[in-house]
Amino acid sequence: MTGRRLLLPLAAALLALPWGVGGYVTYLLTLTFIYALVAIGMNLLTGLAGQISLGHAAFFAIGAYATGLLTQRGLLPFPLALLAAALLSTGIGALAALPALRLRNLYLAIATLGFGTVVQKALFEWRGLTGGGAGLELAPPHIAGLVLNNGRALYYVALAVLALGLWCAGNVARMRTGRAMLMLRDSEIAAGTLGIGIARFRVAAFALSTFYAAIAGGLYAYLVRYINPESFGLGLSISFLGMVVVGGLGSRAGPVLGAVFFVLLPEAFRGIKDAPGLVFGLALVLAMIFLPRGLAGIAPRSWRLT
Amino acid sequence: MSGLAITRLTVRFGGLTAVRDVGFTAAPGRILGLIGPNGAGKSTLLNCISGITRPSAGSIRLDGTELAGLSMHRIAARGIGRVFQHPELVAGFTALDTLRAGCHRDLHYGLLAELFALPAARRQEAAARHRALAALDAIGLAADADRDMALLPYGHRKLVDLARSLMAAPRFLLLDEPVAGLNDAEIDRLADMLRELRDVRGLGIVLVEHNMALVARLCDEVVVLDAGRVIAHDVPQAVLRDRAVMAAYLGEAPADA
Ligand SMILES: Nc1ncnc2c1ncn2[C@@H]1O[C@H](COP(=O)(O)OP(=O)(O)OP(=O)(O)O)[C@@H](O)[C@H]1O
Ligand SMILES: [Mg+2]
Repeated sequence: MTGRRLLLPLAAALLALPWGVGGYVTYLLTLTFIYALVAIGMNLLTGLAGQISLGHAAFFAIGAYATGLLTQRGLLPFPLALLAAALLSTGIGALAALPALRLRNLYLAIATLGFGTVVQKALFEWRGLTGGGAGLELAPPHIAGLVLNNGRALYYVALAVLALGLWCAGNVARMRTGRAMLMLRDSEIAAGTLGIGIARFRVAAFALSTFYAAIAGGLYAYLVRYINPESFGLGLSISFLGMVVVGGLGSRAGPVLGAVFFVLLPEAFRGIKDAPGLVFGLALVLAMIFLPRGLAGIAPRSWRLT
Repeated sequence: MSGLAITRLTVRFGGLTAVRDVGFTAAPGRILGLIGPNGAGKSTLLNCISGITRPSAGSIRLDGTELAGLSMHRIAARGIGRVFQHPELVAGFTALDTLRAGCHRDLHYGLLAELFALPAARRQEAAARHRALAALDAIGLAADADRDMALLPYGHRKLVDLARSLMAAPRFLLLDEPVAGLNDAEIDRLADMLRELRDVRGLGIVLVEHNMALVARLCDEVVVLDAGRVIAHDVPQAVLRDRAVMAAYLGEAPADA
């Protein structure tokens, strides 16, 4: 149980970290947590249910805009706005993706890619609501009367949500829904003849993953406090998928490791001109060649979800 | 009315008619053998009953209720169990996971209970685990509980697969070549299991099998398919003596026809 024993020191380190590092590093870590949340959801969809999405930036965006607008217009306090935005995003996702769920693999990937493009376009065009290309500026959020006006506060909120998200995903993975998703990934006929409703669990996997993406989007909106449709393009969707694959499909720690890889690695080479993209690209290729089971492949087995 | 009644069932794949006007009734508490040469349409017929393949015409009724056209999981929910010729593996599943997956329909907690591991979910999962372990014990594979399915000997895998389909307590069980690839001891064990299912649980079993010795000693009646048609339907002793049946197997016309 190496995983277990590492947990306590890791938690202590994460709690202490914002007091030892500068504001920028705190920001980067918070961003890592947020991306990790998206990746955890994508891992349920891709790692467990075997479906590929290239449109999750859209759900991340809907979460960000809805959370921002609901709080900014004083309709809901921040925590409730996060939840409402996630439910909205999940609803839109389920509706829009329902026809696409009849599709498999690459076909679903292309359909979700189309969905992502449409949402981004809508954010640009619906100026009255979203501010269009000019973007949306947000004042710091409140939680129970407390103003979260520094980076540390949001760091802790994101860390707590990440921990909860990891725990919930782990529960799903080892129970009824998780087993059903794995079965339909590997054999639809075996799943179906055992009484597992194929359509139902594909929708469940998709809905769960959009929920995670939207919650993360809501946190992201308040991390950057200025959102713009440009930030939610295809590149981001691909990065989300990349995090899950690089981290290790179907593993518990994988999505987090993938997010670390995508956020922190390019930062490490920031000083050198042109280096971040180059090194990152190279590292991506090397990781896939030498770690076919992802970064989590080098982690202890007890970290695996399945 | 009672039983699994197939009437005038036809399945076409483009120009090929894999099953043609097939009819028979499988009764509870009986083992019906379904035999015929390669490509006769046996697996296609089972796939139709399970809802994997849509029939082109005809009906499949369980105690009078039409099954044709229902989706796989609805058919399973009505009590039709299925065991495939080759165990369908799920990457990373242990034998225990495999059997717990078979308990799917007995778990009734909602998604929220699952996300937060609420007591209802924990309790039902514990019960499923308990049942799965008992089932493994019953087939003599308790030691395999935590072993990866892909690493189990083929015979063990097939037994686990059969046990999984029984977790949902089906009323009819469709088996596609269950003993192919098993050794003699394993065949005997499986035959005993099937007999017990028939005699103790009153299960109706449709058994597709090429092993004629097993068909002869296990089946109460035998349906013979050739090129999608029923060419014989009788008790095993009669069917296995039938010249037309032998001819179909040997791939030639009967000498005196
Ligand atoms: N999905 C499919 N599409 C097209 N043709 C098919 C399909 N499934 C089966 N067939 C054809 O239908 C015929 C019957 O096949 P089936 O698998 O049912 O035979 P079988 O009796 O189970 O044979 P075996 O003893 O070899 O398992 C064969 O000619 C086969 O090629
Ligand atoms: Mg066959």
